[in-house]
Amino acid sequence: MLEARLDKANDLKKVVDAIKDLVQDCNFDCNDSGLALQAMDNSHVALVSMMYKAEAFSPYRCDRNIALGVNLVSLTKVLRAAQNDDVLTLKAEDAPDSLNLVFESSASDRVSEYDLKLMDIDQEHLGIPETEYAATITMPSGEFRRICTDLMAMSESVTIEASKDGVKFAANGDIGNGSVTLRSHQEVDKEENNIDIELTEPVSLTFSLKYLVNFCKAQPLSTRVKICLSNEVPLLVEYGLAGTSYLRFYLAPKIGDEE
Amino acid sequence: MARTRSKGGATTTTKSASKSQSSAGTESRYTLPDESPNPPKIFILPRKATPEARVVSLLNPRYGKPTRYLVCPSTGVYEFTRIAAPKSTPRSWLIEHSTSSSTTTSNSELPSASQSEEKDKETTTTEKGQDEDEFGAYITKGAELFVATPVDPVFLVLPALSSSSAEEGGASNKKKKLFLSSDDHFDNLARGGQDALSPHLGEVLRWGNIRALFESRMAVVCDTVDAGDESMYRLSEEKLLAVLLDKARSMSTTSLPPSMEEKFVAKALEAPVLSVKRETPAAAPQASTETLASQSAVSTPKVENSESQSSVSSADTTSTTVSDASTAATSVAAAEEEAANSEAFELKPAIVASPEVISLQRLRTALSFILSSYVAPAQAARLREQLGARAELQAEFGPLDDYLGRVAALRQEAVAARSMADYSRKRVLDDEELAERAEKKRRKDEDDKRKKAGLSRGVKTLGKVNTSGMKKMSDFFKKK
Repeated sequence: MLEARLDKANDLKKVVDAIKDLVQDCNFDCNDSGLALQAMDNSHVALVSMMYKAEAFSPYRCDRNIALGVNLVSLTKVLRAAQNDDVLTLKAEDAPDSLNLVFESSASDRVSEYDLKLMDIDQEHLGIPETEYAATITMPSGEFRRICTDLMAMSESVTIEASKDGVKFAANGDIGNGSVTLRSHQEVDKEENNIDIELTEPVSLTFSLKYLVNFCKAQPLSTRVKICLSNEVPLLVEYGLAGTSYLRFYLAPKIGDEE
Repeated sequence: MARTRSKGGATTTTKSASKSQSSAGTESRYTLPDESPNPPKIFILPRKATPEARVVSLLNPRYGKPTRYLVCPSTGVYEFTRIAAPKSTPRSWLIEHSTSSSTTTSNSELPSASQSEEKDKETTTTEKGQDEDEFGAYITKGAELFVATPVDPVFLVLPALSSSSAEEGGASNKKKKLFLSSDDHFDNLARGGQDALSPHLGEVLRWGNIRALFESRMAVVCDTVDAGDESMYRLSEEKLLAVLLDKARSMSTTSLPPSMEEKFVAKALEAPVLSVKRETPAAAPQASTETLASQSAVSTPKVENSESQSSVSSADTTSTTVSDASTAATSVAAAEEEAANSEAFELKPAIVASPEVISLQRLRTALSFILSSYVAPAQAARLREQLGARAELQAEFGPLDDYLGRVAALRQEAVAARSMADYSRKRVLDDEELAERAEKKRRKDEDDKRKKAGLSRGVKTLGKVNTSGMKKMSDFFKKK
């Protein structure tokens, strides 16, 4: 039996919106520590990993490990019926056929209830080790999004080059080339605009911009985004959720010929 | 593809639908009576068999296993041939035991020597009232017909004659085989070689003139010596060969049974048509393998016979099946069809077999048939050797061998020509395949549609992204 109450239905909405353009079906794995999700895109070059911890819900109850196989398009449709400020309650039995969603409006006394049919999804779980990255950049999520969409106009791929001078996002395409360079930057009164760069060694990697733009759909979740790079390993883009919950995206670098 | 899990009210789930169907189907208004452990069987018995004829187990000369024969004290021994519908088209008998229909054939009651349950046959007589009570109208799922046909007792005694000769021949090379009295031979036979016994032989020999019949037939293939008032016998393979050749000749004077004629005579002698490129050569590679088979050791009939024998051993209560006519019939039916097809296009074969060649091929086929169904494999091999060694026989078969040699060469040419021209041939689809293909396409479309419905625009566009040079996630992260 799963019962999880979320104060703002919008929080879940944003998570689902962030993932639904990357994967179509995925399992929400529920256990007593919270809701977890791991899924890859169809090409298996990107991976999304979400951990929605139990403390983000009030209350949270999960007696047994349950996998909720959900089609994200369908879940989006159901969540669209929720107001942003509604209180959302997720309920499922131990071996569920469907997921029960209740939206309670706090202002008016309106209760809507939906049942979403679940699916059996064969999914392989990958073990993701804790990695010490060569470069970790923390910046405003809006800034990252802007860089990605701007460079998208120039090319399909971007080279991210982190050195002691700063971080350079460079795109080289048919119509020309362009680049954005960020330097470490602190604002005392507006901390969310800070740009922190931690570097242990210089890194230069190339990534598909289409995927990065896709990851940026998670921008509403958090004002800050953490980008971690190391040679020969996937890029990590992390958006923080309430508390220590997170939404992480991994993307394989492009190796060899760059168009 | 992932499917919806829910059961209640789901139109897409097939599970719930089938469940409700099966629950409805389990309860039938009619209950069937239990299957009889000894279902009736249908026999066609010869008119001339006397009422004293019995079904007995004797050793099968080919396989050395007990097999059922019908032995009539006055008219001789009959073997059973099982005629059954092929497994692909199952049939049943509806057997009605009505007194009025009992006059169809004037056959007499015939209790089997071993099991009285096996006495049902095509005809019943009025005094068999208890059978009627027992069976009434009966439907049997094994639509088999057992036809009793006369068999030369010489084949039945052959294992005894040859086994003693084989033992001696092996022990002291080329040592003269011993003359033995008929009693000794029959003892040999009753022991039945290794473990299998010929259970009823001793009993059978005491009936009427069966013993005299066996002895007289034995004399035909043996050298005999009179020792006092007793005759001693020793197998003479030359005599045996002569007897077999005689039998084969009489079998082949009129044409062989149509199925055999088609498969082993017509097919084997058929020369490919070289001038026509279409269709006809299609049968050629097949036919060539068939000739090879029939030429070398007649492997095809051998296979059929071993099949029939396995059915005998598995169902010991059923009566004998010596040669499984049904398998041959079906396989040949297919061959006939094929031949008919190819005939439509056939213009002129490269060479045509002369009547002499045809009759020789018939003779050879008949002989192989006899050797492979009535003579033990070891003995058959020996006889074949002798057959090859006899110069006058070689000469006799000369024209046939020449002809077959030419046909084989022509076929090789045809196959070579066909493989050259093969690329231009397009296979024409028949209706069934078309329907299957359409069905597959429909299902695929449906699947695709369902998949698309659950696909967001973002996922769709991501699918078009060029991911060359990007490794899979599983290359970086190990599976849990």
